[in-house]
Formats: sequence, C-alpha cells, structure tokens
Amino acid sequence: MSGSILSSIPLPEFRVWDRLKGKRSLISFCLELTARCNLNCTHCYINLPAGDREARSEELTREEINRIVDEAVSLGALWCLISGGEPLLRGDFSDIYLDLKKKGLLVSVFTNAVLINQDHIELFRRYPPRDIEVSVYGVTAETYERVTRKRGSFDAFIRGLDLLLENRIKVRFKAMALRSNVHEIPRIADFCREKTKDFFRFDPFLHLRYDGDQIRNEEIKSERLTPAEVVDLERSDPERLQALSDECEKIVDPAGSGELCNHLFHCGAGRNSFTLSWNGGLHLCSSLRHPDCIYDLRRGNLRQAWEEFIPGVLNMRSGKKVFLETCRGCPLINICMWCPATAHLETGEMDVPVDYFCDMAHTRAGALELI
Amino acid sequence: MTDVVRLDAIYAPSELVAREIEGEYILVPLSSGIGDMEDELYTLNSTARVIWNRLNGKRTLRGVVEDLAAEYNGPVAEIEVDVKGLVEELLKRKMLIELPES
Repeated sequence: MSGSILSSIPLPEFRVWDRLKGKRSLISFCLELTARCNLNCTHCYINLPAGDREARSEELTREEINRIVDEAVSLGALWCLISGGEPLLRGDFSDIYLDLKKKGLLVSVFTNAVLINQDHIELFRRYPPRDIEVSVYGVTAETYERVTRKRGSFDAFIRGLDLLLENRIKVRFKAMALRSNVHEIPRIADFCREKTKDFFRFDPFLHLRYDGDQIRNEEIKSERLTPAEVVDLERSDPERLQALSDECEKIVDPAGSGELCNHLFHCGAGRNSFTLSWNGGLHLCSSLRHPDCIYDLRRGNLRQAWEEFIPGVLNMRSGKKVFLETCRGCPLINICMWCPATAHLETGEMDVPVDYFCDMAHTRAGALELI
Repeated sequence: MTDVVRLDAIYAPSELVAREIEGEYILVPLSSGIGDMEDELYTLNSTARVIWNRLNGKRTLRGVVEDLAAEYNGPVAEIEVDVKGLVEELLKRKMLIELPES
C-alpha cells in the first residue's frame, strides 16, 4: 500500500477546494431558521418580533428543511451556517441542528447568545459546532440595550456567553459598529479578544431591510457611521487595515480587463453557496432579495434551482447607462459596499449607484492612498 | 475498549459520517472526542475506503481480511497488514468501536 491510508487534513487545506477553484459547485449554504428575534436591534435588516405569528407560520418546518438539506448534501455541500433572526427561538432548533450534523455537515451557528441554556450547552458539548459566532453590541448594559431595545438583555447575553466559554464551545465574535455603540468599539474589541483568541471582527456596513420596511430603514440609516468615522475605525485596527490593503491588491482594473461586459453579477454569489431563507426562498446570497432572483423551494427542488435557475440569474445583464458607466467599471468595486443585492435594498433596482456607498468607497480609498 | 487490534473482534464506525465529495472519501466526526474536532477532516485513500466499507459491525476482522483476499485475489498476509494498520489508526482517533462479544 502506498501513501497515507488515513489522513487528517485541516479544513482550509482540504484538496477539494483547489479542485473547485473557478468551478460552480456547491460547498456551503446558509440556513435562516427564522426572521424572528428575541431582541429588537435598531440596525437589523431582518428581525421581526419573537411572537410574530404570521412569520412563524411561514417558517420552513423541520421536515421541509430536511428535504432541502438532503438535496444540498447530495450536491456536495459540506458546511452549513445556521442563521436567523435568532435561530435559538425555534423550539426545534436542537433537532434541526442534530439533523444537519448527522448528514455529515460542518455546522456553524450565528446567535446573540441571549437564549443559550444548559440544554444547548449539552448539545454543543456532545455534538460540537464548527463554531458559534456571537454578536456583541456593547460591553455595558446601557450601550448593549440601547442597540437591542430589550431590557435585561445584556445580563442574559453575558450569562449565555459565559456558559458557552466555560464549557469550551468554540466562539467567534462579531460586532456591528453603530452610531449607538461606536464610542465603545475599542472596549468591545478588548472584551472579545480577552474572551477568545479565535476571532473578532467588526462590521460598519449596514444594509437595509429585506422586507423594505421604511420606518426601520430610517432607523438603520441613522445608525450608519460616516465614511470618515469608518476610516478612523479601520485605522485603529492594524489587523483589519492590513487585510484591507491586501484586498486592494486584487482591485478590479477595468482598463486592463478588456471590454466591459454588461453582466450584473461579478461576485461569488451562487457559485459555491446559496442561502435558504426562513420561508423557503433560495437566494444566491443572503442579501439578494430581488423577486426575480428568488426561487421558491417549497414549490420546486434544489437541483433544478442550482442547475437551471441560478445560472439564469448569473446571466442577468444590464443595459442601464448609468450602471455601465459607473459601478460596472469602477476600480474601487472591491472595497465598496455596492453589489446588485445592496443596490436593490437601497433603491429597488440592482443596477444603479448608491451615493452613500460611493462616498464610503472613495473615502476609504483615499485613506488607503489608492486614489 | 482497547486500541489493540484483534483479528477475532468485530468493529463498527463510531459517531461519524462518511461522505464522498468531488472524488474524495471523507470522514466527518459527529460527536466530541472523535478525531480532534478542530477543523480537521479525515480522508481515506482508495484502499482504506474498500476496507472501511466492510468495517460495519457484521464480520470479525479476520472475516474482513478473508473476504477481501477472496474478492481481490490477494495474499492474506499483505491484506491483513493493511487492514490492521487502518483499524489501528481509526481506533487511535476513536473513529471505530469494538463491539462487545455476543
């Protein structure tokens, strides 16, 4: 016998990734279990009240999820991210989590940790997730609850987080940088780095609501930082600044890439992943909510969506002059919030520029001395 | 349970899932204590895959060796080395359990 009969390979070095480079092949998917949330964060793009009966009645059942996930696994999916809303609001969360694990998926979970209890801990200890990504909105009750608008949520968050960490469940942190918590971002970063060495990232880019709720969209806009504030934040984080500089080396050079095509999608959406929304929609990515880009998996099947519907969306083109003359050829596209999905959330159209995004990209580019 | 490989023992997979992705045969640990669970996947080469499919709790290891020797018309001694080698590796990582004698 030659070679190693049994090899352990760190996930990032799995040779299948190389084989899949440049190929449309399913690797991962995001499973939104619910749009409901126990918190009421000002900046959230999806949250509906925890007791929203209509939303609850539209959620995929465990059986429906299993049917779709079985198809995803047969197409080669290896990694599943459970997201929401707050996924732990679902009474059948543990059953669904275990169903996914038993199908041979690596499972990550996004949660605010507020609802974590001993039952979850026992589940995660016995059947470990790849990681649990916890959102941190503040490190004082005042700031945290200014964002979540739920009294007592800070204490519950600390209790849930401590339960995870004391039981050595792998936790990663993320923080949204908001008008309501920007004064606390350095302390949030310290808090996270003290709790785990694994991972911390902050995100200052807030996109608008999936449901288009105008009042909530105004709240989100009021939480957005100015481009100058975002740049200041990025400058204060050397790790992030370095990553950004590295990313800039890959910036699209429209002059060097020949004649520009008029395709809308030039990102990775729908190439190796998809999102299964809480009510059965297949999306190329979580943010892409344009009705022409959603496939109803309650009526159809994943294979057809993957092999026929998504390629059709990826082939969508724009004839709009303003798009072709601005975003489509913009050399700053890799550091811009703009994409067809976020443009649609802002304007209702996928192929128009968004002033706030332009300001942000140009300010960041200036800070990185790209322009 | 012991890590010593016994030809008269019957072995079965522990809590893990075997999958084939893009031609790679992989073992995904399901519960804690299997492998090291830290972002690791386990891949089986083609020989290991043939052996793995027979470690299903039905035959003694000696029976597995004999079946493989008959099916592939190979020398028992060489096949036994391969089978025991894989089983030892799997036991070390708790990916295989020895079933109690009935």
